[in-house]
Amino acid sequence: MSSRAGHNGDPLFMDGSFSSPPQSSKSTTLKPATTLSPHLPALTPTQSISINAAPNLWFLVFQDVIIMAALGLGFLTSSLRRHCWSSVAFNLFMLAFGVQWAVLLNGFLEQPSSGGIVINLYSIQLATMSAMSVLISAGSILGRVNLVQLVVMALMEVTAFVILRTFGKKFLYMDDHISLTYSHVFAAYFGQMVDWRLSKPLLEEAKEKVQMATGPGLFAMLGTLCLWIFWPSFNSALLDVTDERKNALFNTHYALAVSAVTAISVSALSNPGGKINLIHIHNAVLAGGVAVGPSCHLIPSPWLAMVLGLIAGLISIGGAKCLQVCLHHQLGIHDSCGVRYTFGWPGLLGGVAYIVQMVLRVDWTWNPMMDQQVLIYMGMLAWVVAIGMLSGLLTGLILKLEIWKAPHEAKYFDDQAFWKFHHLATGF
Amino acid sequence: MRFKFPLLAIAVEVAIIVLFALYVEYEMDPDLSQQTNRTNSTAADQSLQLYPLFQDVHVMVFIGFGFLMTFLKNYGFGGVSFNLFIAALGLQCGIMAQGLLHNREQKFHIGIKDMINADFSTVTVLISFGALLGKTSPVQMLIMTILEIIIFAVNEYLVVEIFKASDVGASMTIHAFGAYFGLTVAGILYRRGLRKGHTKEKSVYHSDLFAMIGSLYLWMFWPSFNSAIAEPGEKQYTAILNTYLSLAACVLTTYAISSLLEKEGKFNMVHIQNATLAGGVAVGTCADMEIQPYASLIIGSVAGLVSVFGFKFLTPFFATKLGIHDTCGVQSLHGLPGVVGGLAGIVAVAMGVTDRFTVSSQAKALGSSIGTAVGGGLVTGLILRIPIWDQSSDLDCYDDSVYWEVPEKKEYD
Repeated sequence: MSSRAGHNGDPLFMDGSFSSPPQSSKSTTLKPATTLSPHLPALTPTQSISINAAPNLWFLVFQDVIIMAALGLGFLTSSLRRHCWSSVAFNLFMLAFGVQWAVLLNGFLEQPSSGGIVINLYSIQLATMSAMSVLISAGSILGRVNLVQLVVMALMEVTAFVILRTFGKKFLYMDDHISLTYSHVFAAYFGQMVDWRLSKPLLEEAKEKVQMATGPGLFAMLGTLCLWIFWPSFNSALLDVTDERKNALFNTHYALAVSAVTAISVSALSNPGGKINLIHIHNAVLAGGVAVGPSCHLIPSPWLAMVLGLIAGLISIGGAKCLQVCLHHQLGIHDSCGVRYTFGWPGLLGGVAYIVQMVLRVDWTWNPMMDQQVLIYMGMLAWVVAIGMLSGLLTGLILKLEIWKAPHEAKYFDDQAFWKFHHLATGF
Repeated sequence: MRFKFPLLAIAVEVAIIVLFALYVEYEMDPDLSQQTNRTNSTAADQSLQLYPLFQDVHVMVFIGFGFLMTFLKNYGFGGVSFNLFIAALGLQCGIMAQGLLHNREQKFHIGIKDMINADFSTVTVLISFGALLGKTSPVQMLIMTILEIIIFAVNEYLVVEIFKASDVGASMTIHAFGAYFGLTVAGILYRRGLRKGHTKEKSVYHSDLFAMIGSLYLWMFWPSFNSAIAEPGEKQYTAILNTYLSLAACVLTTYAISSLLEKEGKFNMVHIQNATLAGGVAVGTCADMEIQPYASLIIGSVAGLVSVFGFKFLTPFFATKLGIHDTCGVQSLHGLPGVVGGLAGIVAVAMGVTDRFTVSSQAKALGSSIGTAVGGGLVTGLILRIPIWDQSSDLDCYDDSVYWEVPEKKEYD
């Protein structure tokens, strides 16, 4: 994000494709950007400032998404007392791994006939956003699995997600924007099921390690803020009409602002001493962005998005407060980093909001096929949840096999199982 | 605290949503673009080009200012998370206040430029919050946010619309205003019991390091801050360059003076965290004017010098002699460099770098910013002093455990 004013001159980014040879003169390199992204503002090379102020928006959005994935999701899960190194580093590893696998799979499924896969900036962006679902699911099992299990999970989850997108596109008319904003719901339920299969009662010595410490808590706040600031870019990344894109940016921005205010005040309200819980803040301030995702380009005025942000903040804190404990006891789902109430429920709320928006937008008298349309919109959400749960269950069963040599319960949530320490166990 | 803060905050939020429903619309409504001619769509494209700059400002507000305030050893959660709360609330208030002041119509339309301006208005509150860091309750912060943003919007209206002065990087309207507003409130809320200092008002090694994250983010993105609302084209370009140079010069003098003033020539981390940013503050007013590169280097150097001297001598003097206790030292980081910026603007106009502004209008803008800040700060401070806002006791200052569920300390943390 530091260098967003300088990439316009690079022919690689302007062209957006590795398949054509790099060009040298600026006038020719400016042109192909419009073929890749017809909605982008035309660049005017005569004014020096317009190049500085409006470089290739695709690359800027891509940068924002990378920051969200590597810094945001990486640090978001780093709040555990003795598991910070693993959280950040495994996150980066899964991101790098998942992106490559997703590029390959997307290529095979979308260009089956041609000999090679042509990749461009858009396909890498799509792959990054698909790999983010792995990072989200990993949040609910981090600390209890080793790197091999995470790799297997990344393989399974990216495959499941690409299948979801391909069939969704074919039968339910899901465009990329819808499937990627629904990816939070998918990832949350996937992680939930894996978590359910892997959960074991915690030993006494591990219970102390699942608490937050001050320093890691602040690092997690850095991750939250990175996600919070760049969420509008994520929600608008795959839209190609300028007006829709702007609407998406604005609605996400206001929904996030409201959910931040709501989360902090409701967190204080729900504590007997009126104290605020930082773990709630890490997660619930993001709920607005998740909830507004699928319908962010359709909402016509800011107050509707703000109402959605308010409800999302409320259910997110409510869920964290009440259901977290009860589910933990009843089902044995542990959910290390609160994925369920950051992404799961706000995502479902977003799905419902999208269905409502679509129903409200269509003229009932004009369109006799409306019943079927509503069924299709509901089908999308059901399809996403169903695939998430099924593939999650399957992955959980596979990860439970003995051959992966999962860490022993005594070593749960401990960096020491994976990292070399120069000093003694108590000294870090 | 149990119910007062959350219920008040939710009530304010609901009120804001109702106000938004009544008055605010997005600027590219379909019926709007049908009414006007075709240039409207290119205007929409143009404003989307502002989005990267807006994001930079956003990063500064939430990560930069947030982590800059984590330097106290027991107030890290409060520093960064109350910062998020104030800014998220403040940007909504800012949209409303500025929209209602600048528009005469039934509804007003908001775009990315309004979002940048709203973020700017929250910066004033965050600066004032810096002066009060650790000494106020969340309810007091909430009330101060709303009042200060309204007063800021009035002053900004005066400076831009009535005096027609130039303040593109907002040295006067944001930095000097926010600092003197905060100092006035801090003076009124002065705690006699703490005049000998507080055991928790200290930093530790890792808390200073966290503060450095914020400082670096602010430093990196400051050119975007000063150029965000400049006229696109030549002016914006100049603003970026001038800020860049001024910041670089400021770092050099800060390190030099800090080492000169401390014992054994060591660097003081407080100076490095804060005074390195003074160059960006001071060059704000004349950032988009045609001053020469050497002039912005001079402005930056002077700002660094003034700021370090402020931290070393003025902040302790204010605290002990005048009864104004300034936790973050906003006087030296935003107040003095902001005034330096205002004066530099007057000098630049007097030397004739631009003929669009006059010396008197610039002087009026500086005077009005400081005057409104002190006046508004007095009123706000007196309101915050009413003993119904859950003020914390002297002992509870600078401590997260009053408002936050904090983890228990372990030996290896």
